[in-house]
Amino acid sequence: MRAFLTLWRRELEAYFLSPIAYVMTIFFLVIMGFSFWMLVSVMAQGPAGVTVMKELFGSFFFWIAMLIVVPVLTMRLFAEEKRSGTIESLMTAPVTDTAVVLAKYAGAFGFFIVMWLPTIAYAYILKAFSPLSAPVDLGPMAGGYLGAFLLGSFYISVGLFASSLTNNQIVAAITSFAIICMAFFGGFLTFFARSEGLRSVAAYFSSVSHMLDFSRGAVDTRPIVLCISATALMLFATVKVIESRKWK
Amino acid sequence: MIKVQQLTKRFAGCVAVDGVSFEVARGEIVGFLGPNGAGKTTTMRILAGYLPATGGSASIAGYDVFHDSIEVRRRIGYLPENVPLYPEMRVDEYLHFRARLKGVHGRNRRKRVDEVKGMCGLGEVGRRIIGQLSKGYRQRVGLAESLVHDPELLILDEPTIGLDPNQIRQVRELIKDLSQRHTVLLSTHILPEVEMTCRRVVIIHRGKVVASDTPENLKRLREGGSDVVAEIRGPAEDVRAKLAALPGVTGVAVTEAAGWCRAVVACEQEAALRPLLFDAVARAGWGLRELRAERKSLEDIFVSLTHADPEGRGA
Repeated sequence: MRAFLTLWRRELEAYFLSPIAYVMTIFFLVIMGFSFWMLVSVMAQGPAGVTVMKELFGSFFFWIAMLIVVPVLTMRLFAEEKRSGTIESLMTAPVTDTAVVLAKYAGAFGFFIVMWLPTIAYAYILKAFSPLSAPVDLGPMAGGYLGAFLLGSFYISVGLFASSLTNNQIVAAITSFAIICMAFFGGFLTFFARSEGLRSVAAYFSSVSHMLDFSRGAVDTRPIVLCISATALMLFATVKVIESRKWK
Repeated sequence: MIKVQQLTKRFAGCVAVDGVSFEVARGEIVGFLGPNGAGKTTTMRILAGYLPATGGSASIAGYDVFHDSIEVRRRIGYLPENVPLYPEMRVDEYLHFRARLKGVHGRNRRKRVDEVKGMCGLGEVGRRIIGQLSKGYRQRVGLAESLVHDPELLILDEPTIGLDPNQIRQVRELIKDLSQRHTVLLSTHILPEVEMTCRRVVIIHRGKVVASDTPENLKRLREGGSDVVAEIRGPAEDVRAKLAALPGVTGVAVTEAAGWCRAVVACEQEAALRPLLFDAVARAGWGLRELRAERKSLEDIFVSLTHADPEGRGA
């Protein structure tokens, strides 16, 4: 446990020492700024009801940010250690492979949350400048954050897995981007597929409709279980990839 | 301390380590020698628990390196060949991070980090960023890191590579000091260094142990091939004939320059030959300005053990 905390702290600190993390944070906040601008322009047209938070958590900009930011944040995790050889000193320290994988995941997830923190200001900005007495309903907002963090957790675990497969950060980023896109666009089958069966199955995996639900404040346990178990699966696969050096 | 039995490691298409067995007792400094690609690094990686062996077994302090890997890792300090460090961290940050990772906590951690910094001459660079340090300093950071948890066994893969002669001397002194409290297994190419630091050498070639003994014993074993060098003023042909006739001589090579003949005499017992040679020269009335035994260095032994012939067997 102590080893995990030590590693987690170093992973989180590594983000704050990395220029890529700052660039991606700025990119993320600019894109989310567009989302916020859309939210404000919808609200400017009068009371918008409970679905207004989808402008923030279900917009085109939100998805651009999620699909691009996560692969870039996670590409370094194992690929860089492998390239520079530090994986050797890491894996010969008295720590288990599982602790290393979990610490890297938790570090990336921690930074992902840090990236989201400035967006809490949106609620205060709305409150300060809106003529309405209660411009934001906190329920849908909390639901939106929950959904973003759940999906983020799954995408980060995909990124971590992709990073463990290679010693090249670019390859890792593209691999995780491809897997995340498959999961994301696969969800669209629920709107396009001809077969009724495929449509209803795809609905369970549709990130887009899950986020729309969350941003209405409708917290369904099924997507929660889906995201957590998908994360667990990817982390398990990553541990196996790291262990695989011992199979050869 | 280290017990390696019939250790074998196969990679796809090649055998890196082929039935290596050796033992290292507590408190020994053992040099691990071999040409590039002989399997030194692979053996060390297996001992450090980074790679598993294909066959055979290895244990450190009684713990199997594969099954009790974590217990083994607690007891060793391993410095990989290319000294992997996190370039974005400061020296102090890195040493504290590694100390914490290796289970050194609290007040003890600060004490240990200060100690190893002192030992490795890092006192002034604690605040520097590792990526901006010179190769020599990085090497020392790596060494300090491997020492930080006060391990029973140090496994150092080429600890002096890339250092200048002064730094090499410092590291050598440091390793000698360490041997009072730690067991050390180090690999290196620099043979004089091994002669100076190591009590025992294991020479490995093409994945096999070809020699394992003290440097002195290895030299004695090869003494049969020792040479006597003499510079004699006399006709080259006569000198050659006279020297070849001496008892115990197996070969004579004479080169002539400015009236002096330089004779290299191969023999079985150089100590017995030298007085005989002097008598022979004196009786012939020639001049003699040099007479010495050329001792085989560890380098000669290393070359003769690991010189690769075209059939792929050690010559």
